[in-house]
Amino acid sequence: MKSALNFQDADAFYECLLDAHQGLEREQSELLNARLILVLANQLGDTALLKSCIAAARAGTPG
Amino acid sequence: MLETNTAQADRAAYADTAFSNGYEFTQGTGYVLPEYPFVAPPELASGEVRRYPIVIVGGGITGLSLACALAQLGVQALLLDEDNTVGVKGASSRGICYAQKTLEIFKRLGVYPRIARKGVQWSVGRTFAGSDEVYSFDLRQQQTHSLSEEPPFINIQQFYIEGFLVEQIQALNAARPCIDIRWNNRITGFEQNGELATLSITTPAGDYRLQAEHVIDCTGSRSPFRAWCKAPVTAKKGDDRWCIADVRFKDHPPVERHTWIEAPFNENRAVWQHLMADGVWRIDYQMAPNCDPEQVSREDVVRARLNAQFGRELADGECDIVWVGPYAYRSECLDELRHGRVFFVGDSAHVVSPFGARGGNSGVQDADNLAWKLAAVVQGRAGPALLDSYNQERHEAAQHNVLVTNRTARFLRPADGAERLFRTAALGLAKQHPFARQLVNTGRMSSPNTYSRSLVCDKTGGTATQNVSFRWADGQPGELIDLLCWADGRLLLLVFGELAPGVAKRLQTLTAQTGICCVQVAAPRQMPQALEHVVDHGGRLQATCGAEATGWTLIRPDSYVACRGGRIDGRLVRAISRALGLEGIAP
Repeated sequence: MKSALNFQDADAFYECLLDAHQGLEREQSELLNARLILVLANQLGDTALLKSCIAAARAGTPG
Repeated sequence: MLETNTAQADRAAYADTAFSNGYEFTQGTGYVLPEYPFVAPPELASGEVRRYPIVIVGGGITGLSLACALAQLGVQALLLDEDNTVGVKGASSRGICYAQKTLEIFKRLGVYPRIARKGVQWSVGRTFAGSDEVYSFDLRQQQTHSLSEEPPFINIQQFYIEGFLVEQIQALNAARPCIDIRWNNRITGFEQNGELATLSITTPAGDYRLQAEHVIDCTGSRSPFRAWCKAPVTAKKGDDRWCIADVRFKDHPPVERHTWIEAPFNENRAVWQHLMADGVWRIDYQMAPNCDPEQVSREDVVRARLNAQFGRELADGECDIVWVGPYAYRSECLDELRHGRVFFVGDSAHVVSPFGARGGNSGVQDADNLAWKLAAVVQGRAGPALLDSYNQERHEAAQHNVLVTNRTARFLRPADGAERLFRTAALGLAKQHPFARQLVNTGRMSSPNTYSRSLVCDKTGGTATQNVSFRWADGQPGELIDLLCWADGRLLLLVFGELAPGVAKRLQTLTAQTGICCVQVAAPRQMPQALEHVVDHGGRLQATCGAEATGWTLIRPDSYVACRGGRIDGRLVRAISRALGLEGIAP
């Protein structure tokens, strides 16, 4: 898993992500996120890489 | 009049078979099952405690497959069944879907032609969410199914196969008596030491005991041997409830497997629609977790569901309800499939939810794995360590089946919250994007398992071959199964390509010394040097063996590859010993 910067334009991505959620109810937002995760995961494809990404995200989650 | 042992004169009447698996609420007109006569065992008159090398307990699809395989190999065995029929009395539905690997086994056992005639072939499956089709497949176009002579699947009621197996065993017995099937013989007690098991048996004519060197437990998911052997089980019970209806239609639906993840006609719960012999369709309805099993199986309730599904009132003559039964899915797997003299086979060893037809198919494949090993050991051709490989290989298979079916179960009954959210996301994406269709999990169909932990398989082996076609030396068509039947329980060595000078002679010596069978596989227009040779005219033998153009493949009687190699050398000699549990199997 890459921890170093890989975005071509991090600020633009972040803005684009927030814009996509604009005007959505909480449930709609959650569904958008879930769809996005599946779409992005398919771009990566690699099982070990996906596992380490999930582990990295989970490690920073309280509870 | 039944023979009565005086000491048993006042014993209670032989009890009817207890229902199991929640069959007590079953309804419908049912099937007419064959009945087999009870014959008083000779022990009742003699009082002798006889010793048998192999005793199979349970005459379901697993026990009968094992018995039939042993009969074919000329091995004596006793088979005890607690009632006098195949199927379960009053509840004769059970398995319906038989996968290619299993069909290949049935072909080897000699019952395949009858199954193919009676059953229904299918290869197209469609998956719906709401009224949209989200995914479909055609198994014929998938690589793993493309080489075999057998179709991807045949659907047929389980009891038909069991009946065919009984008759095949009887036919084999007529030529060479091997299998003593004892109907209405129920096990009531068990003990074992390192060498022998002692079984107590009750029959309508009295009780007796016998000793067994190998006990094969094929008694199913309520096996009493689990408790008798104190066998640890890893289990998981879900709250998912289903109701099966087997229905005969006058105008039947398409010959395809249909699954709905969210069926509008079933309160947005899942529905399965599958076909089998006699124009009967199995329709599985997912129920609410808190449903009343008796209520959901009532005939009028089932008819109301059918009317909702087909969008109109179905008259009596249009659809007959053959059988209805509720059940709950669970998964259980013994941690060890062998306990002393007892081998757990089929449902007694592992129970999975029915997604992908991995129950009956793995039971038959368990039986096929064990049969040739038992034969080789009792006939003195293999070492006792070969029998331990049954657990190594089939426990790995069972664990894999548990993993795969649990994943399906989780997709079909997601927990509230994130699990349901991701399913909604996957279903939504699947309608537009092909990649997401692979996430939609309505069951991954049973396919042959790979053995990576087996001490009798080399790391180049442990994979299943398919029943491919070739040409005999005289140009006639042949199949890999013909070669396996010719090998008659011995290992089969296929040597590909032209043989270097002196190799034919060396192979002759090797086969004479080790008792294996050897066949040269020539490419078209190649000159064979060996007496026994075939022509791989479509290249399928080489493909299914994964062999090099001039290499060898050592195939076991269960059609699995034990080892692959290049030159005829010491490695091949060691592979043969290892495959028979004779040496070189230290972990």
